[in-house]
Amino acid sequence: MRVVSQSVVPRDITDEFTTAASKLKTGQLVKDEYFTLFEAVGALEIMDSKMDSGYLGPGENHAQALEDDYDLTRELGPEEVLGIMDGLLCHEMAWHMGHPLSQTLFTSLYLDKLLWPVPKSLDEAHFFRGHLANNNEELAIVHLVLRAYCLALVKCCDFVHARVATEYYFEEEDFVTQLYNRSLLSQFEPEPFYDLLNRAISWVDEQKGMLDERVREAIWTRLLFRREFLQGLEQDVEVIQTRSKEHFLTCLSQLDNLAKSTSLGTEVPDSFSWKIQRKLASTVPPRPMVKINFEDALAHLKRLCQDAIDLQEIIDYQGPYNFKVTIWTLLSRKPQPSVYIRSLVQTLIVNNMTILGAVPVKQFLYDELAELVLPSRILLEANMDEIEVPSDPRFQIAKQMDAFVKRFSQPFADTFRSACLNRCRIRRTVCHTIVDWDNLQMEAEDLDEQLRTLSKEPPLMLANGDATYSYPLSSWAYHHKLIQFRLILQLGFELSIYSPEELPGMYWYLSHICSTHLGHIDRIRTFTVATAKRNLAEMAAKKRDALERHTALQKSLRLLERLTTQIVAVDAFAISLHALYVLLARHGILPTASSAQAYSSDRLRYEIRMKPFLQITLPELVPYDEYRREAVLEGDSDEIVLERATKAISEARKAWEATLANGAFVQDSDGEENLAPAIEEDWKRDVKDTMRACIGASIAIETVKKALKARANVAEPKEGGHPPSVNLRVTIPETGSKARWHDWWIVPQVSPAAVGSKT
Amino acid sequence: MNPTPTPPPDKSTTSTPTPTTTTSNLRYIRYNAAHEDAYVPAMRQLISKDLSEPYSIYVYRYFLYQWGDLCFMAMDDSLPSPMVGVVVSKLEPHRGGPLRGYIAMLAVREEYRGQGIATKLARMAIDAMVEREADEIVLETETTNTAAIKLYERLGFLRSKRLHRYYLNGNSAYRLVLYVKEGTGSMRTNLDAYAPQQQQQSGPPYPVVESRAEMSGAVTAPEPALLHEGNGRGW
Repeated sequence: MRVVSQSVVPRDITDEFTTAASKLKTGQLVKDEYFTLFEAVGALEIMDSKMDSGYLGPGENHAQALEDDYDLTRELGPEEVLGIMDGLLCHEMAWHMGHPLSQTLFTSLYLDKLLWPVPKSLDEAHFFRGHLANNNEELAIVHLVLRAYCLALVKCCDFVHARVATEYYFEEEDFVTQLYNRSLLSQFEPEPFYDLLNRAISWVDEQKGMLDERVREAIWTRLLFRREFLQGLEQDVEVIQTRSKEHFLTCLSQLDNLAKSTSLGTEVPDSFSWKIQRKLASTVPPRPMVKINFEDALAHLKRLCQDAIDLQEIIDYQGPYNFKVTIWTLLSRKPQPSVYIRSLVQTLIVNNMTILGAVPVKQFLYDELAELVLPSRILLEANMDEIEVPSDPRFQIAKQMDAFVKRFSQPFADTFRSACLNRCRIRRTVCHTIVDWDNLQMEAEDLDEQLRTLSKEPPLMLANGDATYSYPLSSWAYHHKLIQFRLILQLGFELSIYSPEELPGMYWYLSHICSTHLGHIDRIRTFTVATAKRNLAEMAAKKRDALERHTALQKSLRLLERLTTQIVAVDAFAISLHALYVLLARHGILPTASSAQAYSSDRLRYEIRMKPFLQITLPELVPYDEYRREAVLEGDSDEIVLERATKAISEARKAWEATLANGAFVQDSDGEENLAPAIEEDWKRDVKDTMRACIGASIAIETVKKALKARANVAEPKEGGHPPSVNLRVTIPETGSKARWHDWWIVPQVSPAAVGSKT
Repeated sequence: MNPTPTPPPDKSTTSTPTPTTTTSNLRYIRYNAAHEDAYVPAMRQLISKDLSEPYSIYVYRYFLYQWGDLCFMAMDDSLPSPMVGVVVSKLEPHRGGPLRGYIAMLAVREEYRGQGIATKLARMAIDAMVEREADEIVLETETTNTAAIKLYERLGFLRSKRLHRYYLNGNSAYRLVLYVKEGTGSMRTNLDAYAPQQQQQSGPPYPVVESRAEMSGAVTAPEPALLHEGNGRGW
């Protein structure tokens, strides 16, 4: 079809173009400044079979290239229907995993027939479109059963697509939303899909004795699964109200049956075609069909259903601390929950300025401040609506606090939402947001100064007689920034970013951040303790609200204690691994990635490593020379370093045990039952894996200790001669390998080297 | 998908037992546009062997026309088609910031791997970029391409980030970075309209702070208070 517009007058420029082009040399590129590598890569070469979707090979005609001669109205045996259903499920899961529809579901000729041209009514979505609707009663297995399955499957995809597309995801990394100008039947209400499925299920029920019973049951199971899956996906964010796990539980219960019965099916490979891509509205050339096996598809589906069930545990709001634990624990599951789950969680976290569909963001932020830095303080109590005199300091405080909420609620909510990104993106995103938090801390500090005048905050006195103030808002911002520092480093370990020779320095840096953080929490605690002391006097005087304040202060102190224990655990483990790696590096048994002939220098490599932190004001960047001295523990003998490693690992084990004993969640004093048992199990497993890594480190340290001792006993080095080398072999276990107990803790495997062999 | 070409796998370092072809008389030359007719088809053949998706001629021309002097080839003249290795690169300011070299493609004919040809070619490209005052050199490589990662890490590159499902085949990549000059990490870049989307912000966008000096007041940690002077935890 030609597009004809009144305002455009076409002119043939072929001759002019040919003349101009003939003046160019081969290889010469004519481009404007906006032609980037992106455009170059996106360019297609006409007449290249791999790039030109319209290219016809020698002897190929148009019909052969575009059309498939598969007959969609043909009769199918029940085994074939089963085979097609399972083939479609594989494609559906491949799409969930991030492959485009064009290479997965849209290769199905059955789906293509239903979806194109876009049907005006659901009745129109038939396999015999374009043919005379003949008597298809005897083909109910195709036109009723397979059709119902296909339509419901597409509607499932519609729900998934809608959820992912409204949330934050990375196109092509996490998911491909491209629909190629087709619709996933979003224009139709869900009800008719259930009707169709129910009719199909009834028909299959009636076939008892007429079809092979095992095949009949297999088809029945698939229809049932599809109905429940559709209901589960339709529920979507409504889960906040319904709290129903029923549909996904039913889905889960059917998966074993699906696995067992798939072998009864007969594949119909002709009903899937690569060629359909040539008809899709796409700028990319056709690519091979994505094939995943049924087992992998089911594994993905099983995780999706389980995650969908368990995510209900995040819904009951129990304060920001517990909320954060549930979110990060659920989304750190390995493998990471699918993009659908991650999108759904994003919506649950914050939607229309409301957390979990129930808590206004202001309340959420205030809860967080109350938990950490401002238990029961006038700053959180002042409410502008209640005080009308603008000269009242409380009015001023309320105004300032409202400004704070406006500025900070989004970045704060994002510290939860960022857990929903893929792991690589979490690290990349935090590398950016940490700079924002540096700015936020500065702004909060300004606010703190204004607020403390308004609230007449009593100062604490320093040893030199200077007054010092609590700076609650900026203290809180700094706390979050330090968490992000730690996360960048720990995700660096998880994502295998650091080379072996960097490990001593990186674990030192982690411990450096931890001790900075511990100092900061001590400071927050100091002010909370001072407030608590003042409050004791008020309690004695039986002042109004004093008891309530006391409870809030004690709760806050318990949380600070909990955080301290956790950070001490991380710190001690990092110190121990740092010391262990220092010894391995000193004795030349730590593998290295770079060679002696490498470009660059340690100083420049340190600069690359510190890139995310270069712009950060606080904590200050450690200058390279200081970093180097610390990283190699300059001046400390092997004995001292060994002692340090041993002491720290035993401290770490104790602190991790204490962390485990504290449990995943802050409990209210009334000790209500744990509302997130499945997520708590994940959390415990994570801590236990860390403890296993601690044990692994203890063993490695002992092995090094013995080897160093043995070496010392063998021979005193001759004057000026080299001491004998340490007879150890070191391997760094990869993420995901069995010897890597925990992604965040790279514990080297140290074993005695075979006698006589060189390390 | 990704706008940047895949450096093809290079197996120059791994278990290639004995090279099937040993050649002491390889010739390493810089690309010369005058011979594009001969070089480009040979180059494409060499590189596309390792790729699932072919690059169009425009990708090659994009690099060669603008940075032909950063392209080097290894030739074995005893062969009818003598090109056995090639490296293709570019060098330009990155978002108005550091002068960034980029190694786009590196390939060595299979039977010539294991002789350090890829390393030699990479070094030639890096040397040429350094000579032209590059601040940094970057590239991407598949996380599963151990040989290529080893090659670049031996040359001093570090992994700076991992790129999730970066390639069309769904594989992830590492970004590898080599700083040539000090201070590269602190060089400012402009926001890039072509950059991948950043975190959606439903609230007001973060203010862009151009210079710290313009911010009022220095930011210092509030001094530790008296009660907890020194936390007494040193090992």
